[in-house]
Order: sequence, then structure tokens, then C-alpha cells
Amino acid sequence: MTTVPRPQIAVVGSGPSGCYLAQAILRALPTAELTIFDRLVSPFGLVRYGVAADHQHTKAITRQFDRLFQGGGARFAGGIRIGDDVGLAALRDAFDAVILATGLPADRPLDVPGADLPGVVGAGAVTRALNAHPDAPTRLPALGGDVVLLGAGNVALDVLRFLVKDRSGYAESDVADEALAGYLAAPARRVVLVSRSAAAASKGDPQMLRELAALPRARYSVPDPAGPADPASPAGPADAGDRTAAARAAAVAALVDPDRGPFPGPEVELRFGAAPLRILGTERVTGVELDVAGERIVIPADAVISAIGFAGEPRDEVGRLIAETPPDPASGRLGAGLYRAGWAQRGPRGAIPENRASAKLVADELLADLASGALAVDGDRPGFAGLPPETRARAVDYEHWLVLDAHERSTAPADRVRRKLPDHDAMVGIARGDAAAPHPHP
Amino acid sequence: MNITILFGTESGNSELVAEDLGAELGAHHDDVEVRDLQSFDPSELSAERFYLVICSTHGEGDLPNTAIPFAEAFDAAPPELAGVRYAMFGLGDMFYEETYSQGSEHLDRRFAERGAVRVGEYGRHDASSWDLPSDAALAWLPGVLAAASVPA
Ligand SMILES: Cc1cc2nc3c(=O)[nH]c(=O)nc-3n(C[C@H](O)[C@H](O)[C@H](O)COP(=O)(O)OP(=O)(O)OC[C@H]3O[C@@H](n4cnc5c(N)ncnc54)[C@H](O)[C@@H]3O)c2cc1C
Ligand SMILES: Cc1cc2nc3c(=O)[nH]c(=O)nc-3n(C[C@H](O)[C@H](O)[C@H](O)COP(=O)(O)O)c2cc1C
Repeated sequence: MTTVPRPQIAVVGSGPSGCYLAQAILRALPTAELTIFDRLVSPFGLVRYGVAADHQHTKAITRQFDRLFQGGGARFAGGIRIGDDVGLAALRDAFDAVILATGLPADRPLDVPGADLPGVVGAGAVTRALNAHPDAPTRLPALGGDVVLLGAGNVALDVLRFLVKDRSGYAESDVADEALAGYLAAPARRVVLVSRSAAAASKGDPQMLRELAALPRARYSVPDPAGPADPASPAGPADAGDRTAAARAAAVAALVDPDRGPFPGPEVELRFGAAPLRILGTERVTGVELDVAGERIVIPADAVISAIGFAGEPRDEVGRLIAETPPDPASGRLGAGLYRAGWAQRGPRGAIPENRASAKLVADELLADLASGALAVDGDRPGFAGLPPETRARAVDYEHWLVLDAHERSTAPADRVRRKLPDHDAMVGIARGDAAAPHPHP
Repeated sequence: MNITILFGTESGNSELVAEDLGAELGAHHDDVEVRDLQSFDPSELSAERFYLVICSTHGEGDLPNTAIPFAEAFDAAPPELAGVRYAMFGLGDMFYEETYSQGSEHLDRRFAERGAVRVGEYGRHDASSWDLPSDAALAWLPGVLAAASVPA
């Protein structure tokens, strides 16, 4: 094969999978010219807008991704929605290869009767508001005194931690204070977390449960038999999965330990082995009917937060394509020159590191297609320079983002590491250094 | 000195540290290589080279996924490591109080059991601190090199 001319590669989405993918491609193909598009002004996807505000150590992964843009290895083109501002066909014309790393932004709908009642809220809506996502309202919906939380994965545990904490739990965070204050003005008095699995087999990381146990907030109980059982496997050495299950059961046991002490905050019931049958109410939610070991139980609820996973959102051409193409963890290839990675490829499972492994797999597929000639690079594709001038002029670049980043840090109130602006246009204005940028209150 | 930097990573931090150490060392030493533990066989370990092992922690104080095949190959055919000298830098997060920085220790134990000798300080990076992992590793490096230059 002759030497490959600089391939022009577009990555759509600047979340962890887009960034890991760009890293992997640049390591293998340092001559590639990479443009990472995002519909938002800020890079990093759910690291910024999903990961809980009080978990800044997790958000620190962005410092690794900053490297991509700092060295000029990759161009950031924020504020451009592919499939709408720029059509997918136009993008494929301008670039040799396009990789869709657009994530799965919508809350998976709850498929029980009553799921449409007012008062039923998705966890994504809650976590976006707390992270000041520009698509989310700045206030949370009113949750009321009795909250039922469906799901027990890490996102559900993030929401539970939010429901039990008071203001002191957000030191050195970048929580959206307006959303937080709205909740703390009328916090939940009773929270019921509903998990289909038994405690040991539930989805959350043991560390997330330990963190709850260590917080001097809330009182926990486990009313059902599927609580912290002995998860020891019958025979053979414990593998990592068994150890995780054992750690999870031990963490739940520590939460309900009578010696944990009576702490202020809501009463929390952890109902393991319980399946929601329907949401009750006529005008709005009044309760949830559960099946617990064949028995029907009704729990009163002013609000139901569903944390049962995420799904595609067909709001543009790319979103439709991803929503309609079933997940395939084995391959990211949608066709020569068109690939997908991350949650858009594998489905809404896996924490940040898992996106690195899958990005490597997709990068290898792309490299194999280049080597085999299935993906031909002729050197004629213009890349970013081939997009319409208005689009290029509108794109927010990495330097712009750094201006916004510095603004967010410098305007943070005491005890906060940054103050995020919840408004897309205001973010664009500040990023571009527009004189009319609003100033924070003194 | 012939130096091999081995990294085990799951979210990529150790790889960056390894690359940065490689760039720094490459400026002063002729023979410096950076290798992913995922594609490194334990039988390649040799007394001819000095090893810098950079490895994070995942799960419940476990090795990162990319280092597990190396550990398994090591256990299946434990190499003879007399004369091998290495330095260890572990990445972890104090947030995980009970298992802080244990991932690299799984490798350290294996190396020591087979007769390899660790030189210099055991380096650590805590992700809950605000230091960049590479800064911490670059600060740790001179002490390790000084210790390694003293013949065994
Ligand atoms: C609430 C929540 C909390 C989480 N907390 C943690 C945690 O604490 N630790 C952890 O390890 N993992 C956590 N995760 C999981 C982690 O966030 C995911 O594994 C990861 O973000 C998936 O990466 P991605 O790049 O595929 O998608 P995303 O992070 O969603 O990135 C997709 C990007 O694509 C952009 N985009 C979408 N459509 C378009 C378009 N048409 N044009 C241009 N750009 C577009 C989006 O704006 C976004 O920036 C959490 C997930 C959620 C939902
Ligand atoms: C799911 C998960 C589990 C972790 N478990 C531990 C742990 O048990 N002990 C620890 O010290 N650090 C733990 N860490 C922190 C990592 O070791 C730390 O983030 C490190 O910088 C990652 O380096 P890497 O990118 O090279 O994998 C964990 C991180 C994640 C994401």
C-alpha cells in the first residue's frame, strides 16, 4: 500500500467515547486531521453533564482529554449539531471517515401503566438540572415529601445521594445552586428505592453504597427478604464478580446497621426484589404498586423518579440513525467510512473507562479499513475547511471554550469550583468574548 | 540505562503518565521504550533493562482490565526475575479508602516474589488530590533514577 495522505476524520460527540477515540486514532495515525464536533458549547459530554456535581474526582478525567485539544492534535467544533446544522451526507462528503459518538441522551421510558402521569420524572432530567445542562430547566420539578426512586444502578444511587444530602454536602462541587436550593426548600421526607434484583445482585457499585453509609444523613431500612443476603458462592474461589456482590451486600448491611446512628434527613427504604406494576393516580402521581415476592404493595408517592437506563433521542438525523440501529458491542462499523462508538454503539451501559476499550476497538476497525483499502483516502477531502463558511464561523473552538471555562471558575461562589451557565446562547456569548456578556452578582 | 516503561490502565491516565515519563527519559537515555502491559509477555522481563511500572487501581482494589492478562500469564508461568530491578508508581483515589492504590501492589507482589528488586520510593498518585498524575510521576522520577544508578 502507498503511504496514506492525511486522512480527514470527523468525530461527532466530545464525550468520553469521542475523546478516547480521537486519542486512539492519533496514537496510531499521527498525521490524521481530526475534528471533534459537539452540539454543545462545552466539550466532554456526560462527564460535565451527567457525572454528579459532588464527584469532582471523577470529572477530573477531562484533564486527560484536554491534552487532545491543547497540542492542536484535534480541533474542537462546538455548537454544531450534526444531522441538523450540518447534514450527515455533507459531513461524509467533507471527511474521509465519520464516527458517531453521540451517546444516548433520553431517559428510557418506564413501561408500566401510569408512566405518563405528571410527577413521573426521568433521572436524566434530574441529573441534567443539577449539572446546569442548557437543555434542562434551571429548577427541578417539585418532588414533594414522598419520593419513589425506580432502579438501583449508579445513576439511581447518584439521585438517592442527592435526595438525602443537605447543602453542606456540596462543598467544592459545581452543583447548579438554583436547582439545589429549590429542592432543599422542600426536601423529601421519605424515599423508597425499588430494585428488581436482590441487594447483592443489584447494579450499583459497592463504593457508591459505602459513600451513602458514610454520609451523616438519612436513616435506612430494608423491609424485604431480598436484602443483604450472604452472597458467598457455593464452591470454588471467589472471582471478582462474587467479591463485588459480597462487597455490595456488606455495604447495604452497613447502611441499615442499627449502630449507624440516627441522622437527620429522609427515611429511606431500600426495597430489593421488588418490581413496579403500575403508577397510581388520576391527575398526578399518588403512589406506586409493587410486586414483592408475589405480594402486592402500594407505596404512597408525590413523585416517581425513574433511573432505569437511557435511550436514543430521534431529534435529528443522527439521533434517528442511532435510535433505530440496535446496539452492537462487537463492531462500530455502520459502513466503510461511517462508524459509531461509546453508548451510541454499545447501548447505555458502562462507566467512563469502558468507553476507552470500545473506542480502541472502533479505532482498530477504522485502521483495518484504511489498510485494506475499504476506506480509501485520496487526499482530496477538505475536512473542516470544506464546511460552509457560516458554519465554520459559528463553531466554538477550544480557545473559546477555555474562555468560558475560566469565566465559570472565576465567577464560582465561595465553596464551589465553578458556576455553570445554564443557557446555551449566554455560553456562546461568553466563550466568544462578547462585550454584552452578563456579569455575575457581586 | 536501558529503560522499559510498562503501563496498566483502564481509563487512560497511566498511559499518559507512561508517555510523559518516556518523553522525559528519551531526552537523556538512548534506549527507552513505552509498553502496554496488555501486549507485554512476562517472559520478556530481563535483567538487562530497568523497569518503570505505572499501574492504576480499579474495581475493589483490583488491577485495571488491561493488566489482568499480564498477571494471569505471570501466574501461569512465573518468570525467574533474579537481577531484575524495577520502580513502581501506583495510581488510585483516596475516595476508595479501603482499597487505595492497591492495583499496582498486585504487580509489585508478583515481581518481589520472583526475586526482582524494587528500587527507589514507591510512587503514588491520588486522584482526589488536584495534582496531575504526570506531574506527580515526573517529580518522583529523579529519586528513582538516582536510586537505580547505584549498582545493586
Ligand atoms: C447521570 C449519569 C451519571 C454518570 N456518572 C458516571 C460516573 O460517575 N462515573 C462514570 O465512570 N460514568 C458515569 N456515567 C456513565 C458515563 O457518563 C458514560 O459511560 C459516558 O459518558 C458515555 O460516553 P459517550 O461519549 O458515549 O456519550 P456522552 O458522554 O453522552 O457524549 C455524547 C456527546 O455527543 C454530543 N452529541 C449528541 N448528539 C450530537 C449531534 N447530533 N451533533 C453533535 N454532537 C452531538 C453530546 O452533546 C455529548 O457531548 C454516568 C452516566 C449518566 C447518564
Ligand atoms: C470504577 C472505578 C473503581 C476504582 N477503584 C479504585 C480502588 O479500589 N482503589 C483506588 O485507589 N482507586 C480506584 N479507582 C481510581 C483509579 O485508580 C484512578 O482514577 C486512576 O487515576 C485511574 O487510572 P487509569 O486511567 O490509568 O486507569 C477506581 C476508579 C474507577 C473508575
